[in-house]
Amino acid sequence: MDREFLACLRGLQNVDGGWGFNAGCDSRIEPTAWALIALHEFSSPGAVDEPLERGLRFLTAAQREDGSWGAAAGQSEGCWVTSLACWALLAHPQFSAKLLSGLRWLNDDRPRDSGFLWRMARKLVDRSRINAQSASFSGWSWTPHTASWVEPTCYAMIVLHAKAAASLSNLPRRIGLAHGMLYDRMCPGGGWNCGNPRVYGVAGQPQVGPTVWALIALHETADRRANRESLDWLESIQDTIVSPESLALAHIGLGLYGRQNSKLAERLQSSHDSSALPWSVQAITWAALAFSENPGWLNVVSSKPA
Amino acid sequence: MPRETPALLPPFSRPDSRVAIRRVPNYQSDIAAVLYETLREFDLPVRGKVVLLKPNLITLDPLGITNTNPAVIAAARESFLRLGASEVFIGDGSGIDRDSQAILESMRLREFTRPLAKIFVDLNVDDVERLRFRTRASRLKELYFPKILLRADFVVSMPKLKTHHWAGVTLSLKNMFGAVPGACYGWPKNVLHWAGIDPAILDINAAVRPDFAIVDGIVGMEGNGPIQGSLKPAGVLILGDDPVAVDSTSVRVMGLLPEKVKHLAQAATLLGHIEPQKIRQLGESITDVRNPFTVLHEFRHLRQDPNSPLLNQNCL
Repeated sequence: MDREFLACLRGLQNVDGGWGFNAGCDSRIEPTAWALIALHEFSSPGAVDEPLERGLRFLTAAQREDGSWGAAAGQSEGCWVTSLACWALLAHPQFSAKLLSGLRWLNDDRPRDSGFLWRMARKLVDRSRINAQSASFSGWSWTPHTASWVEPTCYAMIVLHAKAAASLSNLPRRIGLAHGMLYDRMCPGGGWNCGNPRVYGVAGQPQVGPTVWALIALHETADRRANRESLDWLESIQDTIVSPESLALAHIGLGLYGRQNSKLAERLQSSHDSSALPWSVQAITWAALAFSENPGWLNVVSSKPA
Repeated sequence: MPRETPALLPPFSRPDSRVAIRRVPNYQSDIAAVLYETLREFDLPVRGKVVLLKPNLITLDPLGITNTNPAVIAAARESFLRLGASEVFIGDGSGIDRDSQAILESMRLREFTRPLAKIFVDLNVDDVERLRFRTRASRLKELYFPKILLRADFVVSMPKLKTHHWAGVTLSLKNMFGAVPGACYGWPKNVLHWAGIDPAILDINAAVRPDFAIVDGIVGMEGNGPIQGSLKPAGVLILGDDPVAVDSTSVRVMGLLPEKVKHLAQAATLLGHIEPQKIRQLGESITDVRNPFTVLHEFRHLRQDPNSPLLNQNCL
């Protein structure tokens, strides 16, 4: 099955070497990074993979001078896709300088809610009626000068586990704050959404994607009750998942924690023909990665933190 | 280079707006017939044109209480095709859930509008183009927008009639947040919050300028909207050629004061009319369909009647 997905993925590569979110779309960093992670996952050691090489050229050429990547051509600042681009470069030592430059940018990129004045203001003004999250923690934002959210925090935490990040100053403290932020933002009963666990007293509804990324980012504390509760939530709703992206991610997340479910894989296979929309590049790459028997792309979270 | 947004008209040089209110008791009614007949009255320039319907598809909605109802979306699509539109696309980009397919499947949209693959565009991940703002209501100078939105000849904002815990109400103007691509700004599109929700609504609508609005008020949401509020049957469709006027009328139907809704008050200076004397009312009168919505305590100043109920604090 993964071969079919990979053939499909190769067929969707643009002339410039990148991938768009869907067939015929302009090349963007996010789908390109995912496509490269999937192609590398299934490449044979030592073999030349021409689409992979072209993709890497596109990705590295798009890096900004400050080490970051933008989500769209011409964007004036780098953003969270820098984490994904770095993730795609982890397996390619010839780009170690570019990788380090990206990791440095990530380490230096501070969300707006991490500032002293902002945190003090949040502590002085009682917002517990509106939302109950702690102002003591912070992670990473989607775009510069905005607040911490679950998904970009997960991506940054995952890639900053890499050995290449070990030399970055102040990293353990940042990872510690991000760790605290993710647990603080968990929905009551387990699982994550974008980062609003409770608004005006009403519990937020967890979502598959953020839950899986958080479980991956928090894998080093796999035994914590919060992780188990979130896995339980994911298992409890797996029969209701219908979209290929969420099916693939659920399979990946449960698999990482040893809770594989063959039914999910079967449903993922069969959903290709019954899908309401054409599969996006991300759906294809995550589906391919879900079928990886030894997911080397997740080794970064299995290794010792930087 | 970013594209410049179209010029704005001062209020005195704008023609009066037209807004129609139609009673539709439930989603099993012949909504297509109601919409088609009403749209014909507006004599819209859509023949041979590409129309983009922009509903509010914010989250998984198996019970049909959060998103624009699929029956209304399908009826609008059918009506614009009957009016001669060459193509009618449906597009949205949720601000909190990036799995658009899961959202569409949860509300069974394809059962109403198949085949969805050829007509639905995920605005979060469509190709983008930068637009530089003429208005400087917020700190934003420019934003990326989906190309399909900028290239469509006729854009229809199709929100659900809902209260909103940050903006007071979410109607056709606030609905255009969904046109800002998540793939550029994230989930949520937090850059808009930091720029100020109300001024950002103004900047986005001044740039994108939806041509028409259809509010699904058959069943709305009150209280802690846009996703955690309570179901509120209101039994109306509200539509018109000026999104500001449509939103103002909708707010009045909700028993609230449009001039107290910040983004509506600001929009009245640049984008459309909120004064009743500038809005030509078609169909039902506001008084006949008024149905007060509960609001959060923070928005108690929006109520027309200070004695109308607030969200029950016991549920917090």
